[in-house]
Amino acid sequence: MRGSFEANLVALALVFVPLSFLSFGGSNAVLADIAHQTVTVHHWMSGREFADFFALSRAAPGPGSMLAALIGWKVAGLSGALVATIGLYVPSAFLVYGLARVWQRWRGRAWHDAVERGVAPIAAGLLVSAGIAILRASPGGLSIWVAAIAATAILLRWPKLPPLALIAGCGALFGVIGALHP
Amino acid sequence: MTPEPMHDSLGGDVVAEEPIGLGTIFLAFLRLGSTSFGGNTAGWLYRDIVLRRGWIDNATFLSILAVGQALPGANGVKATVLIGHNLRGGIGATVALFGLLSGPFAIILLVGAAYRELGEHPLVEAVLDGMAAAAIGLTFDTGLRSAFHGRPGVIALAIAAATVLCVGVLGWPMIPVIAALAPVSIVLALVERRRS
Repeated sequence: MRGSFEANLVALALVFVPLSFLSFGGSNAVLADIAHQTVTVHHWMSGREFADFFALSRAAPGPGSMLAALIGWKVAGLSGALVATIGLYVPSAFLVYGLARVWQRWRGRAWHDAVERGVAPIAAGLLVSAGIAILRASPGGLSIWVAAIAATAILLRWPKLPPLALIAGCGALFGVIGALHP
Repeated sequence: MTPEPMHDSLGGDVVAEEPIGLGTIFLAFLRLGSTSFGGNTAGWLYRDIVLRRGWIDNATFLSILAVGQALPGANGVKATVLIGHNLRGGIGATVALFGLLSGPFAIILLVGAAYRELGEHPLVEAVLDGMAAAAIGLTFDTGLRSAFHGRPGVIALAIAAATVLCVGVLGWPMIPVIAALAPVSIVLALVERRRS
């Protein structure tokens, strides 16, 4: 499985560049495929590492998540981190830059509206799929499933809750339970 | 969407016709990227670029957000590119994007280095499990909210459910699933629109 350094950089680009064009609603939408490719296809890391990277990237600042940088760094150091991050963020940025003006001009046309409304449910479905994929990759077992569903319920009930507070609170809770029952 | 004309009549308003320096743009987005926790970068952009600095007005910001909606990429990233373009054209868009990404990039690598040292400690593993559960909850919350946003019809809900089934439950690769579902979804939206 262990290719050369250059082969790893190419493999990283081949994972992240196509997904860049599919990241409707943000990079979280393509998490299910990122998990599948990095853990199952390329064996770059264990499911636990992937889930840990995901947690860390959501707690850190930035647009969407910097998960790509962590994966690239694990695979091929600083160069890998750069390739993965640029691969995930820059192609869709180019697309938006190129299409923005044309897209604006077509506003109001029937098919323009249909594209916007047709893509929305797929983007929503991809986000839910991302959550399921990370739950499946994580070795944490039943407790993570229960906590994730509880966290979802809390957020649906209290939408103004700061995300960072929920992440910190949930981490602290698991930490305390882990310390009491090692 | 076009950049501000640089040659406005001298007799007109003297508001913000001095082009904003590229260094200033880079630092503004560097600061924004490094301090925008929780994912809602678009909200942070609005508060900083529109309200605090007044670099673009409200209407321009809203049209920038609307343009990006059906295009791939994180909202904050798309808005950053278009705001940068609005301020200084192509070079402005590039500088703004790299400003936005470089802070979080450096921070996450420091976090990754700490993880390499401590990640296998059982207590750290427990804390990370809890953090992952909350972060998954955030993802579910966003997905469910957008699935039910704006009173979707049966068709939209069925498409969302089919996506979850194929990608989330069955674990199929995303590219062929989207390639199959997106045209169906767009055509059905078009038919639904014609009918109403």
